[in-house]
Amino acid sequence: MVLLTLLALPAWAFGSSHREAPLIANDPLADNTDLYVFRSPDDTNTVTIIANYIPAEVPFGGPNYNTFGENIRYEIHVDNDASAGNEGDEIVYRFTFTRVNEDPTTFFNIRLGQRNLRTSYTMEKSTDGGMTFTTVITGGEVPPPNIGARSIDDAVVGLGSTYDNLMMGAVSTASSGETVFCGPVDDPFFVDLGGIFDLGDSPRQGSNTVRDGLARFNTHAICIKVPISMLQKDGKDVTQAANILDSDYVIGVWASASRPATRTLNTTGGGYVDSGAWVQVSRLGMPLTNEAVIPIGAKDFWNAITPYDEITDTTLDGYFHNPELGLYMDDSQFGGAVPAFLGLRIQSNSLGAFDFRNGADGLFGLKGSAAVAGTALDDAVFGTLLLPGPGQPRSVDLWPAFHTGVPNLEPYQLLTGKGGDPLATGKPFINNFLPNGGDMLRLNMAVPVTPRTSPDFSSLGIVQAAALGITDSRFNTNANLEFIPNMDGFPNGRRLEDDVTRIELQAVAGIVLAAVGLTYDDQLNGVPVPSNMFINVLQYSTGVEENDTTFKSAFPYVQAPWRGTDI
Amino acid sequence: MLLALMWLSWMGLAQASSHREAPLIADDPLADNVDVYAFRSPDDTNTVTIIATYVPLQLPHGGPNYYSFGENIRYEIHIDNNTTTPGDDVIYRFTFTKTNEDPTTFFNIRLGQENLKTTYTMERSVDGGATFTTEISNGIVPPNNIGPRSIENATVGLGTTYDQLVSGAIASGMTSGEKVYCGPSDDPFFVDLAGIFDLGDAPRQGGTPKDGVACLNVSTIAIQVPISILQKDGKTVNQATNILDGDFVIGVWASASRQQVRTLNTNGTESYSGPWVQVSRLGMPLTNEAVIAIGDKDFWNAISPYDEITDTLLDPYFYNPELGLYMDDALFGPAVPGFADLRIQRNSLAQVFGGFDFGNGNDGLWPLKGSPAVAGTALDDAIFGALLLPGPGRPRSVDLWPIFHTGVPNLEPYQLATGKTGFNPLTTGKPFINNFLPNGGDMLRLNMATPITPRNSADFSSLGIVQAAVLGLTDPTYTASGTALQFIPNMDGFPNGRRLEDDVTRIELQAVSGVALAAIGLWYDDFDTSASPVTSDLLSVIGYTTGVEENDTSFRSTFPYVQLPWSGTGKCSGMEIAYTQPAILSNSVGVGLAAPEVIATAYPNPFTEFTQIKYMTQGPALVNLSVYDLKGRRLATLVNERQGAGEHQARWESLGLPNGVYVGKLQVQKEGGQVAEASFKLVKN
Repeated sequence: MVLLTLLALPAWAFGSSHREAPLIANDPLADNTDLYVFRSPDDTNTVTIIANYIPAEVPFGGPNYNTFGENIRYEIHVDNDASAGNEGDEIVYRFTFTRVNEDPTTFFNIRLGQRNLRTSYTMEKSTDGGMTFTTVITGGEVPPPNIGARSIDDAVVGLGSTYDNLMMGAVSTASSGETVFCGPVDDPFFVDLGGIFDLGDSPRQGSNTVRDGLARFNTHAICIKVPISMLQKDGKDVTQAANILDSDYVIGVWASASRPATRTLNTTGGGYVDSGAWVQVSRLGMPLTNEAVIPIGAKDFWNAITPYDEITDTTLDGYFHNPELGLYMDDSQFGGAVPAFLGLRIQSNSLGAFDFRNGADGLFGLKGSAAVAGTALDDAVFGTLLLPGPGQPRSVDLWPAFHTGVPNLEPYQLLTGKGGDPLATGKPFINNFLPNGGDMLRLNMAVPVTPRTSPDFSSLGIVQAAALGITDSRFNTNANLEFIPNMDGFPNGRRLEDDVTRIELQAVAGIVLAAVGLTYDDQLNGVPVPSNMFINVLQYSTGVEENDTTFKSAFPYVQAPWRGTDI
Repeated sequence: MLLALMWLSWMGLAQASSHREAPLIADDPLADNVDVYAFRSPDDTNTVTIIATYVPLQLPHGGPNYYSFGENIRYEIHIDNNTTTPGDDVIYRFTFTKTNEDPTTFFNIRLGQENLKTTYTMERSVDGGATFTTEISNGIVPPNNIGPRSIENATVGLGTTYDQLVSGAIASGMTSGEKVYCGPSDDPFFVDLAGIFDLGDAPRQGGTPKDGVACLNVSTIAIQVPISILQKDGKTVNQATNILDGDFVIGVWASASRQQVRTLNTNGTESYSGPWVQVSRLGMPLTNEAVIAIGDKDFWNAISPYDEITDTLLDPYFYNPELGLYMDDALFGPAVPGFADLRIQRNSLAQVFGGFDFGNGNDGLWPLKGSPAVAGTALDDAIFGALLLPGPGRPRSVDLWPIFHTGVPNLEPYQLATGKTGFNPLTTGKPFINNFLPNGGDMLRLNMATPITPRNSADFSSLGIVQAAVLGLTDPTYTASGTALQFIPNMDGFPNGRRLEDDVTRIELQAVSGVALAAIGLWYDDFDTSASPVTSDLLSVIGYTTGVEENDTSFRSTFPYVQLPWSGTGKCSGMEIAYTQPAILSNSVGVGLAAPEVIATAYPNPFTEFTQIKYMTQGPALVNLSVYDLKGRRLATLVNERQGAGEHQARWESLGLPNGVYVGKLQVQKEGGQVAEASFKLVKN
């Protein structure tokens, strides 16, 4: 564990991002919606990255169905080395799109085998931090919108193909070796937007139903499957990993969209000209950061900066140190006003000593003490990032979860084996530590895959791995490093199935703290682990726990877009 | 009405409403016109209500930044009431400002504070846009209808009803007497988007039609204006000479403009500069959606209706509409089975005139040009110039083109066949429309002198003028008086203005299929002079429907008539999933809790294979005892029945389940209905 004085820590957030900031909500084509990063379950020597754009596309949104936009740079960024001298992205994938009308004489999108707004792409790759790019795909095919049987399947009036053939036929291989798909897909995200944004009414109170606000909507996906050896900083493949939490296998991934600075509308005849330097208008790393952590006054700013800017930025840290959502899980604040979160209560008196409610000191009282010597909380090990000051209680959990990842080091090990002292050595469960200080989705590529068909597979991701490591006798009888199912789940990367809304709400309620032994207020002597408050947080759910359709078992994993006439 | 109109250079007919209709504006939803409505207010008939909707396909639950009007956009409603004055006679301009009352939250509404709170300025010009006077400042735009916690709840939300928010946002008191509402509403339009744009599959063959804009909201600008303000000479409606008085015709269109240059700043803000450029417009529904081909849609949005007089690029889309290809068996008719009932006249009045062919590429009425037959009619070059018969091969220059660009005068041949003689459409017939305002541009044209059809009348019909024509041709109440002008129900319907209820998709598809030609006596091919003109072909066209004939909710009986927006937590807020929240366990050490009303214990606990759960009930009660895992999933229901007072037991077998912690939940509903609950932990080792 190197000294990390280069870090000037920020904080943690809440995943997925649809219409999340005022300005980008008005520019849907350039709006990042979600980002997924996971080891490919059917091809475990590779990692799949999926960056989605354009929120809430109605499948029947004709006559000009949604497409990727022109004059936009869609980019996927990968950091695999946070050491001094290697700041910034190691790999950047850039996608740009072109639209052509094959038959400008019709108002239909597809007619007699001809396609309008037919979209193709160029994929470029940079391995020098974005200074130079090499084109690795030209004329990449984007499938048409899934309009209906007449436009797609009918051989006389339409394209005479199944949609699945169009979709799988559009999977390409880049000259640099990646497998690539760009096109419309089912939106894999699931969330009760209406309930949550009605002042946190999730799960909906006074009702026996909840609603998936993104069911039956499409989005546009950029999917790449990359050999692990291409992403690992030294070119190693996964069999060369020292163990399943090998620090050298951590990558940080984020996606963005940029537009030229100046748009000039033609004064006659329609159309416009874009010019000037490229300006980032949207980005996404961890789900829900800009949706439910950053308040409205700072959202547009958040979209404009890069993760690397966050090291020096100080305006955003406070939203992670004292998250707004924390107010609603605290009876001394607004907890009583948000009944749906009643089961979510932050530790106010953990181990009889520590208060993690907004404005309290958390673990700051331990700073510089003998107790933290040699742990991640020791200034001599990680600098002052994790204990920057009093009144910043979530600097030890939410902030690093979003900005550095979590190392396999005390106190960030399960309470199993700790004997009641959170600072003692416990059972390892995560190492996605890549301390660049920026909001990214961090994946340790050495962690094995939980088969999607396994009975242990869970949309609770790392929370479920922690629950098993604490309560399941297969795992809780020793403190050894071993694979616990769902250690490959969010926030160690993000699988399509992961219920990130639930996991992040549980995290705000302090479940990570509890898992490492900073247990809930009612975990007193004689009370078996987990205490009732712990159980309440574990059982908390928004009620919308899975996507409204299946996933594909092979790349690109996301499902074909909903058909306009089937909705 | 017999002015020479040499300055017109005709265009064509289109098909109404405009959601995502052109490539560029589809990418700029805030500035995207959706629909325009103009009708005499049914409850206040001395006024006309104009409704312009913007921002298509809004999800009611589209948070956290719910949809709204955009800043830096000029939303305008334009009115032409006099073709002797150039351009617009009245313009209403709306501009919007958003402020965050509490920038520290990600919620839109919290503790009575509203973010992205939107207000507007309304300006009015009566000199063609040269100068504007501010009529409303800081007009209120209601917030989005997020849900009961944000709107109704007095502690955490605004503490009001959504209905009150809308009522409170209606502005009035201007000296010119307008009422104004700007805010979210239900999208009043209805259309099977999916079917129609899957190559004309409407009604769906082998499928069920679906209203594609059901359950979605739009941003509405509604104004109610005294007719005397809109009439070119300031006259009130009772000064009209008759119900089709040509002096009471207005043309209405709406637009959105942005400043020419937008600059993205590196700190996440935007700057705008330069002159204003129109990026979207709408007059007649569906013009740019289903008449103009994709290659010219962006151009169509950029020009004004007044530019169309000199433009020649767009005319052919009306003379020979693409939709016509799909209603003609000699072209692509067989490839579009949804339109099988819609067939254009290819040989109209064969027995009388030798047959007129209105199929694409044919001559229509062109052979009559300059003949004595058309002398004195609207087709006489001496009266209207060459606009209606500009040349051969433009068959729809006599119906679709004028419907969209000039309106239709009350003059031969544009009168119903009722009362016409010798099967000659050029003779005088029964009047049914006069919305003639020949400026050559795409507008919604309304004759304000036409009485309203009460919405609760048995005769009210979403078929608008088509229904008026049907009644005027077939109902003895109207046929008996021959060529006399009388009010026929739905003469106040589309395309004489547009009411919220009008099924414009159906009407326009029928129009492309030649229903207006048939109404004036250019009967369908199966007409025989020895039998009724109400032929099987005509009945097929009249009976044609897309299957989506009305909005998915009601309309309001008073201004602004559009319905409240769908709630973000209501039935339109996503796919419903059954979910019962697990019981919240009491604090393990019981701090601050009242004594439990029901008690349950388990033994052994921890256990290895099974455990025995014991509980007491104090009287007869409905008992449910279930076991859940830590994810809140119900694993087993051990008891679910009515039980008497006393001690009961149930056994839970945990075979096949992993070791770990489970939760038992006991729910007891007593005779009086009160429910008591107890939860307890079960540990499998």
